[in-house]
Order: sequence, then C-alpha cells, then structure tokens
Amino acid sequence: MHFAFQRYISYRFEMLWLRSIMRPSYAQKLFLLATLPLVVAVMAIAVLVGHQSRAFADREIQALEQQMLEAKKEELRNYVTQARNGFYFIYGVAAPDDEFAKQKVAQILAAMIYGSDGFFFVYDYNGTNLVSPRQTEYIGRNWTGLTDSQGTPVVDRFIDLAREGAGFHEFMWEKPSTGKEAQMVAYVLGLQDWQWAIGTGVFIDDVRASVAAARADVEARVKQTFYYIGVITFAALMLVFISGMALNIRERRLADAKLKQLTQRVFDAQEEERGRVARELHDGISQILVGVRYALDIARRRLPQSDKEQPGIEMLDRGIEHLSGAIQEVRRISRDLRPGVLDDLGLGPAVKSLTEDFSARTGLETSFSTVVFRNRLDQDAKIALYRIAQEALTNIERHAQASKVSVDLRGHRTGATLRIWDNGAGIPSAVTSSSGKGGLGLRNMQERIDQLDGTLTISSNRSGTLIEAKVPLTHLLPPEDASETTKKAAE
Amino acid sequence: MNTPIKVVIVDDHPMVAEGIQAILESYDDIEVLCTLKTGREIVDQAHTLLADVILMDLNMPEIGGLTATELILERCPDTRILILTMHDSPEYISSALSHGAMGYVLKDVPTDEIKTAIDTVMRGERYLCTGAKGSLAPPDGASREQLTGREQTVLLQLAQGKSNKEVALALDISVRTVETHRKNIKRKLGISSTAGLTRYAMEHGVLQGTGARL
Repeated sequence: MHFAFQRYISYRFEMLWLRSIMRPSYAQKLFLLATLPLVVAVMAIAVLVGHQSRAFADREIQALEQQMLEAKKEELRNYVTQARNGFYFIYGVAAPDDEFAKQKVAQILAAMIYGSDGFFFVYDYNGTNLVSPRQTEYIGRNWTGLTDSQGTPVVDRFIDLAREGAGFHEFMWEKPSTGKEAQMVAYVLGLQDWQWAIGTGVFIDDVRASVAAARADVEARVKQTFYYIGVITFAALMLVFISGMALNIRERRLADAKLKQLTQRVFDAQEEERGRVARELHDGISQILVGVRYALDIARRRLPQSDKEQPGIEMLDRGIEHLSGAIQEVRRISRDLRPGVLDDLGLGPAVKSLTEDFSARTGLETSFSTVVFRNRLDQDAKIALYRIAQEALTNIERHAQASKVSVDLRGHRTGATLRIWDNGAGIPSAVTSSSGKGGLGLRNMQERIDQLDGTLTISSNRSGTLIEAKVPLTHLLPPEDASETTKKAAE
Repeated sequence: MNTPIKVVIVDDHPMVAEGIQAILESYDDIEVLCTLKTGREIVDQAHTLLADVILMDLNMPEIGGLTATELILERCPDTRILILTMHDSPEYISSALSHGAMGYVLKDVPTDEIKTAIDTVMRGERYLCTGAKGSLAPPDGASREQLTGREQTVLLQLAQGKSNKEVALALDISVRTVETHRKNIKRKLGISSTAGLTRYAMEHGVLQGTGARL
C-alpha cells in the first residue's frame, strides 16, 4: 500500500517533469527564445572558425614542408656536385678501367662524412656497394633487389637514376647513429664512364617531426579557440539566465508586495464593513427597537391591568416578549461582527471579554492579565491584535487539546505585546511551515502583524504553544494633551 | 415621598429618550428635569441642573458616558449616575463602576426595573440590572482595577513632573480632586512615590521618551 503510494507519487513527479519539458512556461519560453539562437550561432561560428583555421594551417604547413624539403634537396645536390668537382681531376682523366683511379676516388668519397649521419655511397651499375663509410657491412656485396621496410626499391632505383644522369629518391633507411629506421632523401649522380652511381642522403624525419609539431600546434590552437568560444558562450548564457532570474525575482517581489497590499485592503475593507454594520445595528436598529418597546410598554401600562383575559393584551405581551428577543439577537450579531468593547474601552477589556467567553464556552482554565492602562493602541493595532487573539483561541479550542490557557497583554518601552499560551499538544511543524491548509489562520495572523511592522513569534512543542504578537511603539497613541483629554477619553 | 426624585436623561437617540421619559413620568415620585443629547451638554449643565439621578447612555457623540460620568462627579460628587445602555459585556460594567457610576441597567430590561434602579441608587446602594445578572457580575476584587480615563490623564501629567496645583490648573479641577485621583492611582498601581509613577508610565510605553511627543 505504502509502496504503491510512493510509486504513484514518483509517477506523478515524472508526469509533472515531462509536462514541464513538453510545455514550457512563459518564462522558460522566453529564456529558450533568447538562448537557443545564441547557442546555434555560436556553434556554427565555432565549426566554421575551426574548419577555416585548419585549412589555412594545412596550406601553410604543406608549403613549409615543401620548402624545407626543397632546401634539403638543394643542399644534397650541392654536396654531390661539390664531391664530384672534388674528384673530377682524377675521374676526368682516368680510363673506364683504371682501377687505381677508381680506388682513389672511393677513398676520397669514403672520407667525406659529415654531420652525425651524413656520408657518401657508391654502387656500381650491377648493384655492388663500393663505398659505405658509416655502414661498412654493405661494402663489396651485391644489393640488387634491396627494398626498404615499405617495399620501396632502393639500390635498383639508385642505378636507374644514375643511368638517367641524376635524381632524388625517398625511402626508409637505418640511421647509422641510432640504428633506427627513418625517412631519407638521397641524391644520386651517375658516373657513366665507370658505371658508378654515387650519392648522399639526409634523413628528413626532422622535417616530418616539425610538420607534425606544427599540425599539433594548429590543433591545439583550434581547441583553444573552441574553449574560448565555449567560455564566452557560457558567460553570455549565464548573463541571460541571471538577468532573467533577477527580473523574475523582482517581478515576484513586486507581485508579493501587491498581494500584501491587496490583503491589507481586503482586511481593511472587511473590518470597516463589519464595524460599520455593527455600529449601525447597535446605534440604529437596536435603539429604534428599544424605542418601540418603550412605546409598547407604555401602551400596555395604560390598558387596564386587571383584564388579563382580553386577547388584545395577551397579544401585546407576546409582541413585547418577541421584540425583546429581537433586540437581544441584534445585539448578539452586532457584537459578533465587532465587539463594541474594542472600540469603546480598548483592547484590554475586549480581549478580557474574549477570554471570559472562551473560558465559559470551553470550560478550560483560562487566565488573563494586563496592565492598568486603557485604550492606548491605535485602531489598526487594536483590531489586528484582537483578531489574532480570536484566531489563536479558536485554534486552541479546535486543535490544541489544552487544559490551561493564559493570555497576557501589556505595553512596554518598545511597544505592546500580546501573548497567548496553552499547554496543549503543540502545532505540528507541517502547519507552521505555512504551506498546509491548517496554516491559513497562522498566515492570517502573520499578515495582520506584518501590516503593522510588528513581529509574530510562534514557539510550539509537545508541551504547549506560545504565540507572541508584538507591535512597535508607533502604534501606541501619544500621551494625550490635557486640553483634548475630554474629547479623546470619550472614544 | 415629599419631594420627587429629580432625573436627567442623557441619550442621543430621541426615540429612546422619549420612551424613557414617558415611562418615568408615569411615576409620581419622579420628575424628569430634561433630556439631553450629548455628554458635553450634561457636563456643562450638571452643576446648574443639580439632578439627583442622571440616566446616562454610553455611546454618545463628543463626550462618551464614562468620561462624562467622571467629569460630572469631579464637580457634583453627590449626583448618582445610572448607566443605561445596550452593552451587556461585563467589561462595560466594571468600567462604569470604576468611573464612579452607581448603577448599570440594560435598556431592554422590563421597564419597571429602571424605576427600581433609580430607587436603589437613591438609597445610596449600587444597582446592577437583573436582566443579565449572570454576565453582569460586579468586578471581582482579585483582578487589578484599570485606571479610568481621567486617572490616566492625571498620571501622565504627574509623570511629566507637574505638581498637584499645575495638574489642577491644566485640567480645570480642584487640587483636592487631583489629590484624590493621585491617591487612587497609587492604590491601583501599588506604587507609593511619584518617581515610581513616572518609571511605571515609561516602562509600559504610556509616557514615551522624554515627553518629546507632547
């Protein structure tokens, strides 16, 4: 049963949540209207910017790579040309089968090592290595058909290039310094008389690395741009959200203030109307009724006293009796609407009367204490405190199951305080939180006291409840002047 | 009965005043001097009318019945004042008695009772009407008596440091009356010194600040 109820509740919540998603409120719609285009625009801009800057960077990097490779190639060509010029005095005069000259040139080339990995190599057109100063294990062996790890022919291509005159070739090669494979570009020149292919190569992994670094750099920059855009967008969204909230709060506060004003007006109108009707009944109707009664009494007296049997006299007596009933009824209604005591004698006597009625009605042990001063509060404060006392006593009668009640009313240096205490069961916290239906009375009290800039304190536990309503000094009437005393005291 | 009882009726409702007058005039031993409409009129004329009994309504324009009672008694302490009203709350009765009224009668009691009340107060006894005796119990001695409007005024004057003479002058009453009020105030508050009165007035928010509001 309990579980089913919980499930029902959670189902209800889900439905509510769904409904709030499906059918946004006016404020939510406004917020969406303001933020959705912003988000979409920012996203489009971000994608576009990312794409553009990547494309631009790509072109840049490609150009850079090209340039660096060209520079390397140019360098290689220079090395080889320089080397050829260096031994041309031997080669140029030697016959094709001059083994001594060949050996001399091979020695010169073997000596020409440079950098950490730079060297010259020589293969004859059969594929046999003649010079390889850094990787001497290659020397003297035939390398026809050699391919690198990617399957690119190496020596065969050298020989082809040499036969054609000269050319560049890119392939993977083991670095002599580290033994690791890396991309190499080589320039090969053919010595046709000797059927030699001579050349040198440089590793271009540094170019690749700097290109990759440049690419990573670009990627990072794009990411950073995205990040900035994201932050700015978030800030803008927050701004919209916060200003929306602020606006909302302000509106709500205004609405609350208006509602409060309205409440006050309702209270005022109600009190005024009650007071007016009560006075009208008391000063008008009931006085007229009394006058009528006196007239009937006199008429009755002038009729012969002895003749009780006469039906006219009996009717008249009944009429007078009913009239008395009517007068009492009017008085009761008038007092229920607004006790004359409150207006004529002040809050103290009115609350005293209230507690006495309460005590007589409920049979609870009720005490009332006050100070000896009378009628010191202004009209608003009097009415508000009286209604609070009334409400509190009604609550005690209905809910508290108390056996003792005490009411205290006194003025002091900072204003006037009404205290109503009972030793009942206390107010459940669900009620004091003013959300429940039972809290309506308490909320009325709070609203009434709010209108007076006073404070309402409700302290409640299982052994009783204390309601304390305090109004500030501004609601106490100033001391009367001697001259106007006579007038004021009459009220 | 040699001389009739001289009665003045004070009520702002002509129908009621006329009705009472008609009723009272049916008795031989009562002479209605006049009917007045406001408290102000009776306060001004009390010492010339020299009525034995004044039938006084409570709610009246200008000066209400309670204040009028107090003011009349300051000058003509021998006048017996009988409150005749529609209010049946006990608070009105205790207020009326503390302001010096001798009796309290509801307007809607059987008309004979008004005569009974007049006769009772003429004998110098209090009269509280029988019609609603249950609710019209006299004030119990246990609860502290409230100050009357006049006493409150006198207290304020005294608390401001005025002497009996100055108070008498300000309120246009005799010094002896002020002294009586002062005695009553001290009795009601249970305070013996004037400084104590000032402090009491301050503490209960009656006298605010240093009299700057006056």
